[in-house]
Amino acid sequence: MSTTTFETVARIVQEEHHCDPTLIRRDVPLIDLGLDSLALMEFIFSVEDAFHLRLPEDKLDPREAGITLGDLCDAIDARMAEEAAGSAMHPEPARA
Amino acid sequence: MSGAPLAITGLGAVTPLGAGTPALHGALSDNLCGIAAREIVIEGVERFTFGAAACAGFDERQQRGPSGVALDRGTALALAAAREAAAQAGLGTAAEPAVDAERLAVYWGAGMGGAASLDQTTEQLYAHRRRMRPTTVLTTMPNAAAAELSMAFGARAASMGYACACASAAVAIGEAMRAVRAGWADVAIAGGHEALLTPGLVAGWQAMKVLAPAAGAPAEVCRPFAADRAGFALGEGAAALVIESLDCARRRGAPVLALLSGYGTSCDAEHISSPSSRGQVRAMRAALADAGLSPAEIGHVNAHGTGTTAGDVAEAASLAEVFGTVGVPVSATKALHGHLMGAGGAIELICALHALHTSRLPAAAVPPAPSMGIDLVHGRTPRAVAPFAHVMSNSFAFGGTNAVIVASRLRAPGAGD
Repeated sequence: MSTTTFETVARIVQEEHHCDPTLIRRDVPLIDLGLDSLALMEFIFSVEDAFHLRLPEDKLDPREAGITLGDLCDAIDARMAEEAAGSAMHPEPARA
Repeated sequence: MSGAPLAITGLGAVTPLGAGTPALHGALSDNLCGIAAREIVIEGVERFTFGAAACAGFDERQQRGPSGVALDRGTALALAAAREAAAQAGLGTAAEPAVDAERLAVYWGAGMGGAASLDQTTEQLYAHRRRMRPTTVLTTMPNAAAAELSMAFGARAASMGYACACASAAVAIGEAMRAVRAGWADVAIAGGHEALLTPGLVAGWQAMKVLAPAAGAPAEVCRPFAADRAGFALGEGAAALVIESLDCARRRGAPVLALLSGYGTSCDAEHISSPSSRGQVRAMRAALADAGLSPAEIGHVNAHGTGTTAGDVAEAASLAEVFGTVGVPVSATKALHGHLMGAGGAIELICALHALHTSRLPAAAVPPAPSMGIDLVHGRTPRAVAPFAHVMSNSFAFGGTNAVIVASRLRAPGAGD
């Protein structure tokens, strides 16, 4: 069984940012996770690293009030779907 | 004109000889060596083996800093050492301070700051097209450790970073002494760190041809003052002191471990890397004058003693000039713990204090060349000597900064300490 997007995101925010486990729910706004602006930047960076993608700020600005962990997971899933669709149309040449 | 002696009320260290000052003292008593062979491979560019002095078992991810960011390894070492020293001195923490925060200062040395993180991050950037972390600037800036320490202990008087190559920690300690004596702070956390055992940085040192090849027994890799010396063992580590006036220590009920009696600094202003005896002599004499002591009253010197061709010759001449030929027993502890760069001045001061308190001088494995004219303590075991009252620790850096510290027992030997 594969790890869900939420499980990966939850692991990162807990292990790397020592977030209170009771706060790690889809409906919790990122602002309420107890992370300051620096930690929030680091968290998004770690998430992008884990999923090998970038989240352009017009798709998701973590500083925007009300954006939740659930919204973040949805944005990741949407981005992964976009990239999968893009690769299907323009497959990358095989690398040595 | 001499300055008032200050109390050392806390010591902390993480070094290639172990984590914590008890481990360091134990290793020095047993004359252990923390050097081991390490290979560097940068595909298509470098492949070599050198003698490295690493803090094996130290995991920077286990150290949480007050900033909350993932710490550079050097900053993590600094925090670990400073926390041990602060605990011994009873300083408390930023959340529960035991001293007036606005009278507590941090003076911290590092040769290259967060360079290891920068080396790793830029390798990711250029070789693997991976973006820089948002906190790159904050973890690699040379004052990162001083900043973390100031936050950890709530030090609001000053947070100063000193970059003086291999004299950084000694300078930080000396400048902290000056600040406390002048009344700019009551208590200071002073010391230094270095962590640069990443491939790019080590390759930089290798390019200068100063790294000792890792041939033979670890204890013989770095051979200070020896005829066949071949460079130093590059290392990492951190050490911290807490210093304050004797009055302040007594009022607080803090333990007085030893006294800092004198500090002298000078600059060669001659060559970017080759040392000058004249500059070293001036720094040693300045430290003695600051301590109000004559050379004959110094019972032991912890030399800078890197094991380089030029460095050892200059220092041997300087020691002869100040103390007379074979005039004072000298230990070159870089043979045991490696060249700890920005941390060296602090770690070697702790080695000097060890000698002061135990009357046993750490030994380098290989004897000095007779032409050096110095009494280098050598062999497999420390040399036992009659108790003495004062010790000197030398740091003579690339760039020409010389920093010398004199430390003393709280009471004269035989007076019941």
